[in-house]
Amino acid sequence: MKRGSKARTTLVTLIMMLPGLAAFFGLFFYPMLVTVVRSLRPEGEQAGWTLEHYAHFLAEPRARGVILLTFALSISATLCSIVFSLVLCLVLRRKPRGHRFFRLTMLIPRVVPGLIGALGLLLLFGSRGWVNLLLLQVLRFVDEPVAINYTIPGLILFYTWLYFPFTAVTTLSTLEGLDPAIEEAADVSGANRWQVLRHVVIPLITPGILAGSVLTFMAAFGAFSIPLIAGGNYRPLSVEIYRQINFTPARWSAASARAMIMAALQVVFLTIYMRILRRPSV
Amino acid sequence: MRRFASFHIDMSRFASLHIDMGLIRKYLRAILNARRLLITTFLLCFALMIYLPFTMIALRSIGRGWFGRLWLPPELTLDWYKWAVEVTNIVDISKNTLVIAVLAVTMSTLIGIPTGWAFGRRRIPGKEVLMSMILLPRMIPPIAYALGVAQIFYRLHLVDTHFGVALAHVAICAPYAILVLSATFEGLDERILEAGSVCGASPVRNFFHVVLPLILPGILSSMIFTFTTSYNEFTLTLMTYGKDTVTLPVRTYLAIGEGYWEVTSAMSIILVVPSILVLFMIQRQVAPEKLVGGFKGV
Amino acid sequence: MSETSKTMIELREVTKRYGDLVANDHITLKIRAGELMTLLGPSGCGKTTALRCITGHNIPDEGQVWIDGHNVTEVPTHKRELGMVFQNFALFPHMTVFDNVGFPLMIRRVDKAERQERVMEALRLIRMAEYADHYPRQLSGGQQQRVGLARALVYRPKVLLLDEPLSNLDAKLREEMRFEIRDLIDRLGITAVYVTHDQAEALALSDRVAVMHRGHIEQVGTPDEIYDCPQSRFVADFIGLSDFIAGTVSEVFAEQGTALLRANGLEITVPATPEMSPGQRALLFIRPNNVVLLPSTHEEGTNVFDGLVDKMTYLGDRNDYRVAVGESLELRVQTDGKVRFGVGERVKVRLPTSLCRLILE
Repeated sequence: MKRGSKARTTLVTLIMMLPGLAAFFGLFFYPMLVTVVRSLRPEGEQAGWTLEHYAHFLAEPRARGVILLTFALSISATLCSIVFSLVLCLVLRRKPRGHRFFRLTMLIPRVVPGLIGALGLLLLFGSRGWVNLLLLQVLRFVDEPVAINYTIPGLILFYTWLYFPFTAVTTLSTLEGLDPAIEEAADVSGANRWQVLRHVVIPLITPGILAGSVLTFMAAFGAFSIPLIAGGNYRPLSVEIYRQINFTPARWSAASARAMIMAALQVVFLTIYMRILRRPSV
Repeated sequence: MRRFASFHIDMSRFASLHIDMGLIRKYLRAILNARRLLITTFLLCFALMIYLPFTMIALRSIGRGWFGRLWLPPELTLDWYKWAVEVTNIVDISKNTLVIAVLAVTMSTLIGIPTGWAFGRRRIPGKEVLMSMILLPRMIPPIAYALGVAQIFYRLHLVDTHFGVALAHVAICAPYAILVLSATFEGLDERILEAGSVCGASPVRNFFHVVLPLILPGILSSMIFTFTTSYNEFTLTLMTYGKDTVTLPVRTYLAIGEGYWEVTSAMSIILVVPSILVLFMIQRQVAPEKLVGGFKGV
Repeated sequence: MSETSKTMIELREVTKRYGDLVANDHITLKIRAGELMTLLGPSGCGKTTALRCITGHNIPDEGQVWIDGHNVTEVPTHKRELGMVFQNFALFPHMTVFDNVGFPLMIRRVDKAERQERVMEALRLIRMAEYADHYPRQLSGGQQQRVGLARALVYRPKVLLLDEPLSNLDAKLREEMRFEIRDLIDRLGITAVYVTHDQAEALALSDRVAVMHRGHIEQVGTPDEIYDCPQSRFVADFIGLSDFIAGTVSEVFAEQGTALLRANGLEITVPATPEMSPGQRALLFIRPNNVVLLPSTHEEGTNVFDGLVDKMTYLGDRNDYRVAVGESLELRVQTDGKVRFGVGERVKVRLPTSLCRLILE
């Protein structure tokens, strides 16, 4: 009697989990498999194996540049996100006036399509945008409009704008999870504000910040809509993938190979990152 | 020697607490005010950085003849919106977007409820690993597997169908629905259900009167999030759309390619304003941070 | 205890408000150098608020805080040179025991060699020298609290503040730690302010106790004074067990030093104080273990009344009775187990005059 109902419970559990697993396998795992297979097939054919797409891409002189660019953009954006999120969250946790508004504001980049954010940023930082108008007419720092759009620093700025919320949200929740008594203890022991920050707060929230920055990095690495419209001549990996499909006839295999390279790089980086995170922390 | 002596005196002056209190108060007030000014400036710049891009888009969408180095458009007009509605058929596109979103939400919720129930209320070996696995489609940028999705859909003739595009959206909507709903079901206290049946409710009545009200907020929260995700989704849509299933994000992208910034801006506003409104409306009910996908144990 | 009665800490009219709630209402208190003063009271009485005004974590809305002759009301916490021990230990989880205790020295730029020496000395003092390399999560509650003590004392502050340091420990450990703390404080000759809601702890540890209630200090005195001569109903009620009889002073016999309290149909002889006058409403207070139960055959006498045993609870070393006396009074009486009276039995109840205290309303 008991064993029977146990088997039944397991069966029910499995059946209930089926939709989720089906979605995962059907809409993610299998497509990834298809991409892997396609990346190893000659262009346009259904049979035969070849590594030519990988070889072609990696042999191209620009390949290194593309990969470097993708890493450079993601890492820079992640670093900027970390610094900015840290400052923002340290300010917000004291609950200054209107802090609820700013906590919502923090989420705006994630609530709108990246495309629109990129459009707005292009307009704002364009040669006729308000930033340049400010520099030209009000502050008179420059004589000519500064080129921000379609430059690397500009791209890093756009990336940061779009992806910092991941880091900010985890940083804020980690910060608020800190026991206030610990900071008070440091206080009483004679540490001024900066010392408390440096010796107590930051070491304790570093795991949280890093965890959040993983999301930022992953998103920045695979960023697509931003570089698509704001990348100009700079094409990170994701745009490279898309370009292959835009040829006529579409080069699915070439695209798949690049997608697999991107996925592989992400997995490698993620593993390294996780290893760093897994170090005995508190 | 003299220098050393004066240095010594200076230090002792600061070392003891025998300082004029008025002086301390003055310094403190100055530092405090500088601090607050700095913080206010910082927060102001932050808000500007986030909202100005949208302001620019909004101005572009109602401006005429805005060339050269002007801060504001010289003339205001609603022509671009008219253009968007009449020429680019924004109404049909919006309908597409909504239909697809509704389909995606329905499918994701139907997937999320049973799976979330299983994760939330049953012991499953390696649950954390499984959960991370299910969240992979959200962690890995869609471009990686969108290729595969596109190819499969071509073969299955799902491209350019509302159902097909919605199904592609489910790839990224379902994981979050599962996450939220498993947390919801986990939070269902067994004892409340027992209390219901002790009070005399049959399983069916128990479900409708006790369980449903308790899980409804979670279901609503997951529905809201999957809706906004599908509404804003671009990459997967780009890979699976066709002339009948153009969505707002895709159309906006095409407009950018066409170069008419004004019309593009009008379309962008139409696309974006509902999302922001929804965010501010639901921020009291739902912890907005969940929308960003705060995953535990990344 | 202290040779000089120099005031180390002084709160002058300290007031702190949170919206409509007045957490500290014009608190005035002087704490002498070398003494252990306990702030005792139920939760919400303002004792922790007052402590945090001393540490600087709260800035009072009105009033001043003076430490060692200096007005520190607006001096930030980290400059006040105080030591503090927390209820939940507040050890730095990412540092070893050694680094935790050495932290204040590191902040003060003490060089490594001296730091090593002083930290180990402090650790030996609390008998935790072998744990120097451990992390807080590897320690038990009692061990963590000892480390907290060491960290607070390593830089030899003049004042040690303790915020319910033993509340998170189990009962047996609490008693042991009580003596350790008292011992340490005595040995170092330090002034200490202790906050607790546990009156047994307060009475056992302190040189003086300040009983607080709803933002006020109700009474300040030695543990004896607080226990035997409470000056308000709250203090009488909060400390130990009490019986209260409300009545009116009917006569005062100044030459004999007694007065008569008419209450509940009884005439009770109580010690007189100069403030008493006939017609005054007053509250008689006596400890249940000071009330004497006698068999009904006992002869009449001063403050001997008829009673009826309503309830009896056997507590092992004591018996706890509820005895009906007078018109509608029910007195709680505690006796040692020697003679036992049963429920429903008629008895005589004696309230020894010298052990009655009157609290005038």
